[in-house]
Amino acid sequence: MGLLDTKDMKKGSGTVGGVAVSTVTVPRLKRHDTARDVGFSLKELGRGMKLTLGYFARPKTVVTSQYPENRDTLKLAERFRASLKLKYDDKGWHNCTGCGICERICPNNSIILTTRKGEVTGKKELDRYVWRMDSCTFCNSCVVACPFDALEMGPEFENAVYDRRLLIYTLNRYAGPAAKVLAKHEPEQHAAMMEPRDRFGGDTPLNGVAMPKVEPLKKANHNNEGDAS
Amino acid sequence: MNFVHILASAGGPGPKTFKVLTVADRALEAVNTNLWMTALYLLLAVLAVAGLIAFLGMSLIYMERKVAGHFQCRLGPMRVGPHGIFQTVADTVKLLLKEDIIPRDADQLMHLVAPFLSLTATVLVLMIIPYSPTLQIVDLNIGVLFVTAITGFGVLGILLGGWASNNKWSLLGGMRAGAQIISYEISATLAIMVMVLFSGTLSLSGIVQSQEAGWWIWRAPVVGLVGFILFLIASVAEINRTPFDIPEGESELTGGFNTEYSGMRFAFFFLAEFINIFTVAAITVTLFLGGWMPLHIGDFAGFNHAMDIIPPVAWFLGKTFVIIFIIMWLRWTFPRLRVDQLMHLEWKIMLPIGFANLLLGAVLVLFNFYFFP
Repeated sequence: MGLLDTKDMKKGSGTVGGVAVSTVTVPRLKRHDTARDVGFSLKELGRGMKLTLGYFARPKTVVTSQYPENRDTLKLAERFRASLKLKYDDKGWHNCTGCGICERICPNNSIILTTRKGEVTGKKELDRYVWRMDSCTFCNSCVVACPFDALEMGPEFENAVYDRRLLIYTLNRYAGPAAKVLAKHEPEQHAAMMEPRDRFGGDTPLNGVAMPKVEPLKKANHNNEGDAS
Repeated sequence: MNFVHILASAGGPGPKTFKVLTVADRALEAVNTNLWMTALYLLLAVLAVAGLIAFLGMSLIYMERKVAGHFQCRLGPMRVGPHGIFQTVADTVKLLLKEDIIPRDADQLMHLVAPFLSLTATVLVLMIIPYSPTLQIVDLNIGVLFVTAITGFGVLGILLGGWASNNKWSLLGGMRAGAQIISYEISATLAIMVMVLFSGTLSLSGIVQSQEAGWWIWRAPVVGLVGFILFLIASVAEINRTPFDIPEGESELTGGFNTEYSGMRFAFFFLAEFINIFTVAAITVTLFLGGWMPLHIGDFAGFNHAMDIIPPVAWFLGKTFVIIFIIMWLRWTFPRLRVDQLMHLEWKIMLPIGFANLLLGAVLVLFNFYFFP
């Protein structure tokens, strides 16, 4: 079947076996003549050469960054994803309620959430938000899934360490309820509601691995209530 | 014919004559007086060619990487030395120190010989290129024939390498190279033959001198330009560069004929490839762009004298590097052709044009119809 020129399509009617049917007449697409083909090809080759010469002649078009020399002036894309972070407002409160949707949606089980019963509120609140960078693929699913807009991806990408246990972070700075709940309580109660958490404290799931000068960690038990460190 | 005569009378001041004196001539002269001088000249020639190879290898590879980088909005090598000028040196050291792996089932001798054959063919061409009236190793009176023969010899190394590696990719690459180079050699030779017709000599130095009144690319009406374009395309195909790099075709053949080569043997293939760019550009310049002849425009005596001040070697190298740049430009712009497209281009398009060009050239020469005869 040759190429059909749909532009000059004509509708009509005819009879097939005595039955009236509507027909469509479509002419064959005319082949370009050789001269036109050659001319077109040469023109396009010239266009390509002009484009590359333009890049060559204008060094401004170079997109390469001279990392690490340009570390101070390094510009990263807004959507650059290199580390998972909890969002904190200006009071230092986060929005995480400990619902665990991110934990369930994570394809690599890189997020391990532990929750506890709040002493003041008596309700479930975040105890420890553990993020395993060593198994994270930075797929952004957790950020997208979070119904409380508590998570974000940051551009901090220089994360290399010598011990992979150092890639297991606790993301929350305090164990306690989310900003919404804190706002409902009196300021003097806040101290009692918030218990500080450090970046590398607590159990990490990478337990029992002995390395030189590094003690094996305690066996992880994420159903533990309270701070295990 | 009047037109031509008017042009001829308008053509240029009294031509500056260049006396050609090759290293071989000097050595021959010295034979009668001092044998040591002969030996010295020969040694000098060998060292000069070796030095030229080293210099060209380094500079062309660096140039290629920089040019490629900027064509692709990159910077190219930037780390080793200022703007990466020592990158090639570092790479050479790396290649020297690398283990030389020979596949167990490879044909040991042929595997060893192939890269040397490839490089030898290239080096032999360097020998007869006229760099300047006084800078040429030897001026063969059958120079053009020599060039055609020797460049065909280079494919032998590639074929041998492809065969001896005992590897599918290598064999396919070698065979493709054979088919491609043999095909395009025809077009290249047809284009060269036109220039031989016009200049009436086979010696490369003689061809350069025949362009004193004007370079053949425009002095031979139409034929020169067509021949130039044909020769350039055929040459790019002969040296296996993109858009005609199907013998290597990384995405298809993982490197083609040099898949099984590593270390210094690979470096030899690589070096031959880059020196080939130079020789091809140099031959193009010699045949079509007046070799070391300075640019003269008709009656502008002042301009012509200013052009004469620039030494012939600079003219030669300048023109050569312009051609090299064009070859690199082609490489980093065009995609690779398919095998059948490659053969179609040669046998159905370039070959007829080449023959027509040769015929037209013969007629023009017969009737002396070219500018500044």
